[in-house]
Order: sequence, then C-alpha cells, then structure tokens
Amino acid sequence: MASPQREGFSIPASISHAALGQVTSKSLGVRYNCAQCAASFSLSKNDAIRCKECGHRVIYKARTRRMVQFEAR
Amino acid sequence: MSDNTIVGIEYNRVTNTSSTDFPGHQANGDYSWDIEKFKDSFEINISHITERTANFDLIHIDTSIANAFRRIMISEVPSVAAEAVYMFMNTSVIQDEVLAHRIGLIPLKVDPDLLNWVDKTQDENDRYTEDNTIVLSLDVVCTKNPHAPKNSTDPKELYRNAHVYAKDLKFEPQGTQVESFKNSPVVPSDPDILLAKLRPGQEISLRAHCVLGIGADHAKFSPVATASYRLMPTIDIIEPIRGDSAKRFQQCFPSGVIDINSNGEAYVKDSRKDTVSREVLRHEEFDGKVKLGRKRDHFIFNVESTGAMSPEEIFFKSVRVLKNKADYLRNCPIGQ
Amino acid sequence: MADTAEDVHMTEEKVEEEQQEQEYDLDKIKLLPGASEDGTAASFQIIDEDHTLGNALRYIIMKNPEVEFCGYSIPHPSENKLNIRIQTYGNISAVEALHQGLDNLSELCTVIEDKFSEKIEAGGYKTTEP
Repeated sequence: MASPQREGFSIPASISHAALGQVTSKSLGVRYNCAQCAASFSLSKNDAIRCKECGHRVIYKARTRRMVQFEAR
Repeated sequence: MSDNTIVGIEYNRVTNTSSTDFPGHQANGDYSWDIEKFKDSFEINISHITERTANFDLIHIDTSIANAFRRIMISEVPSVAAEAVYMFMNTSVIQDEVLAHRIGLIPLKVDPDLLNWVDKTQDENDRYTEDNTIVLSLDVVCTKNPHAPKNSTDPKELYRNAHVYAKDLKFEPQGTQVESFKNSPVVPSDPDILLAKLRPGQEISLRAHCVLGIGADHAKFSPVATASYRLMPTIDIIEPIRGDSAKRFQQCFPSGVIDINSNGEAYVKDSRKDTVSREVLRHEEFDGKVKLGRKRDHFIFNVESTGAMSPEEIFFKSVRVLKNKADYLRNCPIGQ
Repeated sequence: MADTAEDVHMTEEKVEEEQQEQEYDLDKIKLLPGASEDGTAASFQIIDEDHTLGNALRYIIMKNPEVEFCGYSIPHPSENKLNIRIQTYGNISAVEALHQGLDNLSELCTVIEDKFSEKIEAGGYKTTEP
C-alpha cells in the first residue's frame, strides 16, 4: 500500500547524520561520567558501556557547557 | 489631643479607631492642615539604631502617612539583586531554575545609588552595561579530600567544596567599576547562606547579572526584612490595685511593664513594653479597675535591613520617595 | 489662608522652572467623567499608584477646610489604577484642592526628613540592640 503523499513534502533520499545519531567528530566520541567513581571519559560507538577507570556499568552522559539563561525569579 | 487619640481596647472589641482630626468633623478645634502646627507637634524619638535594625517612634502623625512610609520601605525603595543567571554548568542535584531563584534571593551589599536603572525596553543583549549591572560569578567543583581522616562521615571533611555558600559568589567588576567599587566590593550581606550541596564530580559554573529593582516587582528587591509599626500601648489603672492582687496584676503583663511601689500598689512602669495581650481583661478581679488602649498617633517603627543599606537610610529614602511621588504628580498635566 | 496660597504659588513656579527638562507622563493622571460643570467636584484617575499615595493624599486633602469630601478607591486589585474623588465647598476647584494636597504632602515629607536627620545628627540613641 503506497503511503499518501502530502503536497510539498518529499521523503528525504538520505538520512542526515544527526538523525542517525552519529557523532560528527568521530575521534572524540561522547563524554560520560562514571556513576561509581565520578571519572570522566569518552566512549565511541563500539566501545563497551563500562567505566574506563573502575569498570562500573552505570554511566551518565556529561552535560554540555552550552550556556542556558534563567530569570532569578 | 486628650482621650480623643486613644484607641480603646476592651475584652472583645476595639473602640474609637479612626482619625477624626478633619475640619468640620468636630464642633470644637481647628483641624485644617497647618505645616507650622505640624512642625511644632510632630516628634521623633529614636530608641536604637544598629547596623541592621532601627527602632524609632513617630509621634503626632496620621496613620495614612506612617503607613505610606511602611509600605514604601517594603516595596518601593530600590535595591540590587540578581536578575539574570547564565548557567554554564550545573551537575548538582539542585535544578537550574531553583538554583537561579536561590541566587536571586541573596541580599547583596551594594549601594543602590552607584547603579542606574536597566532599560527594559532595550534588546536583551544591549541591556546590561557597566553602569547598571553587577556581575557575580560562581565556579565550584567538588572533589574528594585525599587527606580526609579515616572513618570520617562528615562531608565537610570527606570532600572539598561539598557546600556552596553565598560567599562563594565572586564579584567581577566591569570596566570603570574597578575604580568605582574599589572601596566597597560587592559581597553578599550574609555570607553563610547555603546555596547547594555537592558531591565529588559535581560542578556549578554560572554568572549572575544583578540589577536595580523594587520590592513591588519582586520581594528579592526589598531592602528590608521587616518594616512594621505598632501603636504605643496605654494602661490606665482606674482603681488602686494592692497586695497579692497587685502581684497577680503584674503577672498579666510582660516583665517590666508593671511595677509595685513601696506601698504594695501596682503602677505602670513602662507601657511601651506591653504586647497588649489583654490577659488582664480575662480576670474578673480587675474588672473595671484597668483600661487598656493605644495611642492612635504614636507609631513605634521597627525596621530591619537586609544589609545593603543602613535602616535609617531606608527610612530616609522612603520619605524621599513619597515626596517625589507628590512632586511628580503635582507637575503632571491632567488629561481628559 | 491667602498668604499660604501665595506661597504655594511661588514654590510652584520655582519647581516648574527647575524641572522643565524632566519629562512628565501625559497619561499619569486624567479627569474621569462625572465632574461638575463648575469644576468644584471631580474624580481623577492616577496610573501606577496604590494605597501608599492614595490614602496619604486623601488624608491631606481632607485636612483642607475648603474640601467637603475626598475619597479614593482602587477599582480593581489587578489594575494599577487609583481613583480619587474631590468635592469642594465651592471656593476652590477640585484640581486646586488636589494640587494643594500634593504641595502639602510634599512639605510634610520635608518636615519629617529634616526632623529625622536632626535626630540622627543629635545622636544620643543606643547603637546596640537592647
């Protein structure tokens, strides 16, 4: 069954990097913090999900340093 | 100016509560406004003024005026507080917006006269300048303390920067502020306000922009913790109270209000200390022997500053604010 | 009464000269409908004022022997408007009564400020809490 085409919309031929969940700068990987020993390290796509220091399997994604503005109210 | 200015306080009611000092209100007496008469009768007694609190009496003034000063001190005398918080990092358990709110509420020791008002019509990026903004920064990272004593369970010993206090906010003078704030760098007036608790690996990094504001807009801008008045209490002993009865009578009041003379007779020593609890009116024994009241035109002000200004300066400013209001309105054209 | 009226007039002129540069809000105060033809009774609406000025102004206007009635109200608590009604016995207009009231309030503030600074300078009070 063909999906109905909306006017002005065409299915993208290739999926963007962002949509694939790929990190553009592959070499860096993603920063994580260990939940056990608080070590900070980066993991890339195929790495085991473990702390590089203590081997603990619970890790958190690190917060970015992007500035967020708040009203002090 | 006799009993006319005393508010009666009875067991379950108050009497004579509103002002009657208007022309045409009473058969005798001229009550029209006369600045010279006011100058002669108006009195101020200062009980004490410390760095943070002031206690003074305004005597022979109407409630409407005294109340205006009280209201202005709370909500219209400007002071400085954090308004915008720029969060670069916050991995603590306290949420960004909650932390921003807490930083806003910290009273700062800044002379409000050194700053201009922020023009809120301006674009957000151009709004804050060195003339109208104080920049504070907070950068703390919690780490383990390698020298912590064994078996310690105290976070203060186990970790470094486990507690973030108001004193950790650092003043960053901008441009000419280096000179103008040289002798009075901006610090929180209460350095030991706890802002957040951290554990190793957690970090807070932020900048706060502090601006002028008034309490009517947000309580953080109010320069006073409290500004209140009460009316001077009066106690009239109509029939002498003696002996054991006098001792019981004394017990009905806070200590220091009633004393007993050498004849064993109770007399009023200091009615100012009375809280007007009306306890004495609950005892049949004193029925008709005592009359409680308050002087309607005697205001005992108590002003507590949050630390930016001295309490007497806050009162001064409230008088000036009311005067400015009157002068400004006097010159405003009346539209249709 | 005549003397004070003249004094008021002189200070008015001075204030006006000094404050020529300052801009005044044209919408700050307006005359409400329902004023009498001769102008001896009128209501005004003041923007961005509350009980602070309202009650103080009402009191000082009521102290004027030429004023028969003065009252104020805040018609709605979430609108920052203050309505003030003035009715005179007929010798002065409501606007004059309002202006005299504002002048009186201003000089009252001056007296309080002077007296307070006098007391502060004189000292003799405690500087510690009892």
